[in-house]
Amino acid sequence: MKLNRTRKIAGYTVIILSSLIMVMPFLTTVFNSLKSYAQYTKVPPQWIPDPVQWNNYAEVWKLGPFGQYTTNSVIVTVLSVVGALFSCSMVAYAFARLKFPLKNTLFLVVLGTMMIPPVVLIIPQFVIFKSLHMLDTLTPLWIIEWLAQPFGIFLMRQAFLAIPKDYEESAKLDGCNPIQIYWRIFLPMCKPTFATLAVFTFMTKWNEILSPAIFLTSKENFTLPIGILSMAGQWSGNEQYMVAAALMSLIPILLVFLFAEKYFVQGSNSAGIK
Amino acid sequence: MKRKFKSWGTFLLSITLVSALLLTACSDGKSKSGAGGNGDKGGKAEKVELKLGFYSSAQSDAKMQELIDKFQSEHPNITIKTESSPYNQFFQKLDTQIAAESAPDLWLSDGVLVPKYAERGVLKDLTPLIEKDLKKDDYFGLDFNKDANGKYWGVPQGIQIAVLYYNKDMFDEAKVEYPTEDWTWDDLKAAAEKLTKDSTGKYANDSAFDKNKVSQYGLTFFSITEGWMTVLKSYGGGVLDETLTKSVINTPENKQALDWIVDGMQRELLPTPSDLKSFQSNMAPFPSKAAAMRIGIYARTIDANAAELNYDVTLLPKGPDGKRFSPVIANSWVINKKAEGAKGDAAWEWVKFWATEDEVQKEWASLGEAVPVKKSVANSEEFLSGKPENKQAFLDSFEFAGTLDVNAVWSEWVGKFNDNINRAFEGEIPADQALKQADTEVQQVLDEFYKK
Repeated sequence: MKLNRTRKIAGYTVIILSSLIMVMPFLTTVFNSLKSYAQYTKVPPQWIPDPVQWNNYAEVWKLGPFGQYTTNSVIVTVLSVVGALFSCSMVAYAFARLKFPLKNTLFLVVLGTMMIPPVVLIIPQFVIFKSLHMLDTLTPLWIIEWLAQPFGIFLMRQAFLAIPKDYEESAKLDGCNPIQIYWRIFLPMCKPTFATLAVFTFMTKWNEILSPAIFLTSKENFTLPIGILSMAGQWSGNEQYMVAAALMSLIPILLVFLFAEKYFVQGSNSAGIK
Repeated sequence: MKRKFKSWGTFLLSITLVSALLLTACSDGKSKSGAGGNGDKGGKAEKVELKLGFYSSAQSDAKMQELIDKFQSEHPNITIKTESSPYNQFFQKLDTQIAAESAPDLWLSDGVLVPKYAERGVLKDLTPLIEKDLKKDDYFGLDFNKDANGKYWGVPQGIQIAVLYYNKDMFDEAKVEYPTEDWTWDDLKAAAEKLTKDSTGKYANDSAFDKNKVSQYGLTFFSITEGWMTVLKSYGGGVLDETLTKSVINTPENKQALDWIVDGMQRELLPTPSDLKSFQSNMAPFPSKAAAMRIGIYARTIDANAAELNYDVTLLPKGPDGKRFSPVIANSWVINKKAEGAKGDAAWEWVKFWATEDEVQKEWASLGEAVPVKKSVANSEEFLSGKPENKQAFLDSFEFAGTLDVNAVWSEWVGKFNDNINRAFEGEIPADQALKQADTEVQQVLDEFYKK
């Protein structure tokens, strides 16, 4: 009994220590966001700000249209997530279940495109969006996700393949067509995978820098990361404001994570049953 | 049956490819006719839409917009559409836009990147316009954008010129006389010895000084502008010859200058590149009070003032033969070669508005980011007042100012040069070997571009 208690204490100590290590960088960021420039650059670093510069956060809002940046980021991210879930799952369903010519070859081609670095694609994409008159609008940033990205296809296809064929066969007997099978059988059974893809797309889009930097030119169309970066300028850092802005832009990600967590747990639960 | 499907697949694939090709081909045609259409419109109604590119910053964006509004009210026929990006992304985007033939009509270029675009045929030659409209003697730094053939590719928007910054409190504390205009680099090093301090408070001229625990450097030193180029040139050396296509790295003058730097770094009077890694940024040691002196361009006054330092500036030290050198970066307005007719005229109007109007120059100078281009404004009380006290040093430095051997492959050769010379700074290889290797590699970069 006593041994058990010592073990517990030791275990908790390890957990607390390691979580402290994990939390340290985050706390440093929080503290840095509350410093003046002189405190921020001080050597040796002063960990806890004194005096605390709460007005850094207010200052950020004066330095740029952050409300507009946030709205833009939300639009791009939400439309991207919806698009990715819709298009990737459709395509993945086809690759997992339908029979059509050159299926495996096409799938290999799709996977192959994952190996092309985004920087290589940016000029052709720029040319295409220019001819579609979509530059300096938010459209290019989310519409790409409606065209099924390879990673999502791959992820969903693997999830669909894991579903036993018996389900759809009995659905077929009951008179379901492929669309109905997709909608009524596959979607509900793969919720955790959908959640994973949603979170993944959300994070990528929320933090994306390359495409918005290339496609957007007017300040009122900037997304949050570009807005934050454009505070810096060539000569002056404004680092403490950038840290504050970056922290604020983190809030939605935290919310999404808290919200989606239950789906992750669900995912691991159902894996246990199978 | 299966065969039939296979051929169908191929058919579909080829249709997709062909339509993709058509789409891109169409778009080319469209954009060209679109540009022409605009030009025609300009002729008839005298209305021009000008695409103006610049890199944004929280401090300057509002001022830029204010000046744009002022320009538009003075030129009601010209509408300006701004295209801004964060500094680093701006040039990434510009390269994409140039590749897709949709670059802005004029843009603000980092001074060191003007030749990159000029020599690749993207920029308009501004020589005749400058000769016609600008009195060269009225401006600082027009010549910093002149190439080896005497052509002008840009008009400076604001000028960065380097001087010696020093922290008065640290000099007072160490009881060292402030730097004077007569200093040589050896005088600077002698002072740096008395100003470099370890964490126990012992100075570098004390035998108990621990050079592994430096808490305050004599002189902070980083990369080209605020580092080696200044020393090399005042020792009579340099990197490229006057044609800017040939490396002159492996010379006795450079060796002497490099020895001066390496000795300083070995004794930790100057931070090595790896020492700088422990700071928030490479620029941080001086504003964070971890260095007594810095070679600094004008924009560094922003951070020094923000950190509320008690500091001043003076001319950079002389080399052993009395030669001085102050590096210059002239961020400049450049005009797209494709901006012709009314658009080209409108673009030049903007450049003239920026350079010639006193009020515009004063407004921009009030941000404290750069030395004004127009001499009358730079010499005004408005510019010269405020911190640091001796701002005159920036203007006096124009007498011996020069560019950073800027050419079309500047970023590339600076990279190669740094790779080699940093190894000497860290004490990994001897100075002459670093120079020899840098010479070979820089020449290779130059040949790849210029010997085609």
